[in-house]
Amino acid sequence: MKILEVKDLTVKIENNIILEDVNLEVEEGEIVAVVGPNGGGKTTLIKTCLGFIKPTKGYIKLLGKPPREAIKTGKVGYLPQKSSIPKNFPYSVLDVVLLGLINKKLSKKEKIEIALQYIEYVGMKGFEHAPYSKLSGGQQQRVSIARVLVADPKIIFLDEPSTGIDVVAQESFYDFLQRLRKEKGLTIIMVSHDIGVVGTFVDKVAGLNRKLHYYGDTKGFFQKHILENLYGSEVKLLVHSPECVTCEHFHIQDLH
Amino acid sequence: MELLTIPFMQNAIIGGMILAVLLSVLSLFINLKNWSFITVGISHATFGGLAIGFFLGLSPSLVGGIFAVAVGLLIGYISKKGDIHEDISIGILFSMSMALGVIFITLTPNYNSDLFTFLFGNILTMTREDIYILLIFSILSIGFIWINFQKIMYCCYNEEVAFVSGIHTGFYYYSIITIISIATVLAVKLVGVILASAMMILPVAFANQIFWHYKKILITAITFSILMVLGGIYISYEYNLPSGATIVFLYSLIFSLLFFIKRLIPKG
Repeated sequence: MKILEVKDLTVKIENNIILEDVNLEVEEGEIVAVVGPNGGGKTTLIKTCLGFIKPTKGYIKLLGKPPREAIKTGKVGYLPQKSSIPKNFPYSVLDVVLLGLINKKLSKKEKIEIALQYIEYVGMKGFEHAPYSKLSGGQQQRVSIARVLVADPKIIFLDEPSTGIDVVAQESFYDFLQRLRKEKGLTIIMVSHDIGVVGTFVDKVAGLNRKLHYYGDTKGFFQKHILENLYGSEVKLLVHSPECVTCEHFHIQDLH
Repeated sequence: MELLTIPFMQNAIIGGMILAVLLSVLSLFINLKNWSFITVGISHATFGGLAIGFFLGLSPSLVGGIFAVAVGLLIGYISKKGDIHEDISIGILFSMSMALGVIFITLTPNYNSDLFTFLFGNILTMTREDIYILLIFSILSIGFIWINFQKIMYCCYNEEVAFVSGIHTGFYYYSIITIISIATVLAVKLVGVILASAMMILPVAFANQIFWHYKKILITAITFSILMVLGGIYISYEYNLPSGATIVFLYSLIFSLLFFIKRLIPKG
């Protein structure tokens, strides 16, 4: 089932074309990474999909509806860039997760029960009453995911989820996303400046630099002309591959 | 305790305590949203409105209130849209309002109030009527915040996330800006337009240094603020000092002391 459809999308902000004729479709249960250089329109695409920005041309259908209608169903989750959350936000882990249930018609006791289940699910049991602001980047990200999951979404949008997280935490975070897709059938759309993530953790890649230079599976993405079109210069890649056993998991990918 | 028997002092103490509670609650959102400069902008803009009220022979508080709300909403709109950097727009708006204020004060015939009172406040000017208005407004504002607290906090956490969760973020954003603007006008008689913003920034900034959870932060901020207002009024009465300046100086002094003491004591 088509869960997201972006058709002929153009977005202009103050006469600058940020996105131009973007077309893509996402099926239910897919993990899609939107990659590209800084300023290439990745975050704008996510924000347009969520209804924060109106398309100049074209349209978006999320869960078969215009974005603002889709949001009202409560089936859409959003995890913004970490830097957009106040550093000293004065809430405990439980308080933050409960925010995700703010519009659900449940008793306070039921809400707490659900929130505690998801805190455990994301591996944060024992931290329920800990200050959110004092957690590490990776832990905060897990709590934020729990906040999104309590609302029982069908699709979640993640904006640069790996920023501010160390490499080990990043890997376990991506593993966790795959587990989410498997266990909950979630569709995940993730913006990332890190194209290393593409090789191992996602089903489809959207290479975006104002225009959509590539949309398809991960194998087809690592081609010289695609990467050069996308990044505008010669690109050398250091890709981490779990299948590689001969060179301690790191090798330079030969570009075709 | 002689000062408790003087009617204008009673007014100042009651009014000061109500203001301390209201502004401390608002201080939580102002600190979370980094709205210090917006608050400074609104409080300075109030001056223009008060002066226009005097010039037109209308209630300065009413005209000042309408003017402050209009400027507050404009600042809020500009900073939300982000077309111009908000510091620049606030800087222009509050300089313009202050300039307008000075011009209208000068043009007002038989103007016998002291300009200094507007700028730095004077507890002598606080009347019973002011207290009733302040009390009703504080009950309504705190009631609104109480009912919608989690939704407002969700907007402070991240407006876009709150929006995706189905919160009417624009409504809460402009409601809080409106409450801050009116509260500023009401604070003018106690501490004046220049110092009003301190009472909206320092209480939670102080409490933040001791506690991390919002409930403890709010209780500490309100207690701290009430003590500073009472202490300021007492000291200004005993030593014949200007009340507004004494109150705000006390706020800043105790905040700074805690700030340095915390850094001098080794952690662990």
